[in-house]
Amino acid sequence: MSDHQTFMMGEFAAEFPTDRQYADNHMWALSRDNVVRFGFTAYAVRLLQDVYFLDWLLDAPARLSHRQEIGSIESKKAESALYAPLAGELTIFNAELLADPSAINVDKYGSGWLFEMNADLNGLMSAAGYVDHLETVWEKTQRTIKGQLNE
Amino acid sequence: MSKRLAVIVSQGPGSNPVKRQLEEDIVTGLMFSPNVEVTVIPNLYDLRGDSTGMLALQGIAGDMVVCSWMFERAAHWILDRNGMSGRVGTTLLTNDAPDDEDEDEEDEEAIDAKPRVNERREIANRWIYCLDLRTCGSAQAFIDEVLRIQSELNVRVVRLGAGPSVGRPTREQLQRFESPTNSTGLARNGSGLANATGGILADAGEESEANPPAASINRIEESSGRRWYPVIDYSRCTNCLECIDFCLFGVYGIDRIDTILVEQPDNCRKGCPACSRVCPENAIIFPQHKTPAIAGSAEVGASLKIDLSQLFGAPAEGKSAEEIAALERDEQLVLAGRDAVGMQGLEKRRPARSKASDRDELDDLVDRLDQLNI
Repeated sequence: MSDHQTFMMGEFAAEFPTDRQYADNHMWALSRDNVVRFGFTAYAVRLLQDVYFLDWLLDAPARLSHRQEIGSIESKKAESALYAPLAGELTIFNAELLADPSAINVDKYGSGWLFEMNADLNGLMSAAGYVDHLETVWEKTQRTIKGQLNE
Repeated sequence: MSKRLAVIVSQGPGSNPVKRQLEEDIVTGLMFSPNVEVTVIPNLYDLRGDSTGMLALQGIAGDMVVCSWMFERAAHWILDRNGMSGRVGTTLLTNDAPDDEDEDEEDEEAIDAKPRVNERREIANRWIYCLDLRTCGSAQAFIDEVLRIQSELNVRVVRLGAGPSVGRPTREQLQRFESPTNSTGLARNGSGLANATGGILADAGEESEANPPAASINRIEESSGRRWYPVIDYSRCTNCLECIDFCLFGVYGIDRIDTILVEQPDNCRKGCPACSRVCPENAIIFPQHKTPAIAGSAEVGASLKIDLSQLFGAPAEGKSAEEIAALERDEQLVLAGRDAVGMQGLEKRRPARSKASDRDELDDLVDRLDQLNI
């Protein structure tokens, strides 16, 4: 068994470690010691490319509902609001990223983590399940990007 | 004493080094400008009414230039709410095309004659220019704009002093300005005035004075947590009170003359912009919200960047502003341990005029995607 799953974004191979779970808003979730750490998947980072700014709307700790808007991210070419992957209590943000978000690009599955939550992981996907999910949304993703580039 | 122009630099929330650098470059650049008084404060939006930063700003009586990381309207009305009213100075550093703005103003006057709250309020007789630090990455552009505003303000005073004649002042008027014959003459303030009137002063034989006073810099450092609350634009607000009916968290209140105000800002639920969506006049600003129309953009301008929000979990499309607002309100009620109320109070609303402008780029994008048929 491989320790990761792969999804081809055109020429680019996005890899997803199988040691963790995945949310449909393209965040990974890794449980340890009763808290769940979240970060961006390779798919998200590939879409964003060079991240240069990350901002959170809230101070930790904060109770979140699923899909609540919690912050925003900006890269050279793209921007996005960020939403809670699950309902639960957000306990801490990765403070290092606020001063320098480059770890998101350099080490997305490690030091580039975003925040930690106390949350019930029901509803998250395995790496294989996430790849299946990406198969179904890849078309829409491409159209979203092309639609905006054609302006 | 020379009249000094107060320049406020409101630091970005968080500690983004790129933002901090721009702020500091502007401060440094203004350090050697005469007759400028720079005050550096933490993020204006996060300051409480009784904070040191807010008190310092309230102590400034004259014209102000406020540089902050938010839309001009947001900064202007935050100041207004904290007792610092003034006329809106128009900056040339903006993303909006000036033509559009003019049209807009005419449109508004022509189409709707609804009385706005601002028309019956007393506005302090001074100019407040708000600059959005996101407009451009060059500190020099902001420094130049501050100096341009300084000139503009001086020209305004000169024009007032020059009486009915419009355009260039005569040599006689300039002389009278130089040596006032009464006590109401404007204090001469060196290079600012020289800039203001271009070469005219030089014609009149004036040279810049020796030792112009360098800018003074005040730094106010205080830690304040991030806040989240609505800011009302009274130039749009008609006092219809939809917001006070809609919000179930007691954020809004009524003042002694029955005018809506944000009475308990910290009752507001973090991240929830729902009342802004139900405001028929689009008068409620959440400066930190991602959607420009809600964050206080004068125009809903197209973003230059690809917006991936829809891919990253933005709420479903195809809902009206009211439906989204009801969902957001329910979300917050449930989080607060209360019962959801759904569309309560919203069923009988006429379609909000602002609905079209509540659409953001994602709505347009989705429409275009449907047409693309890839």
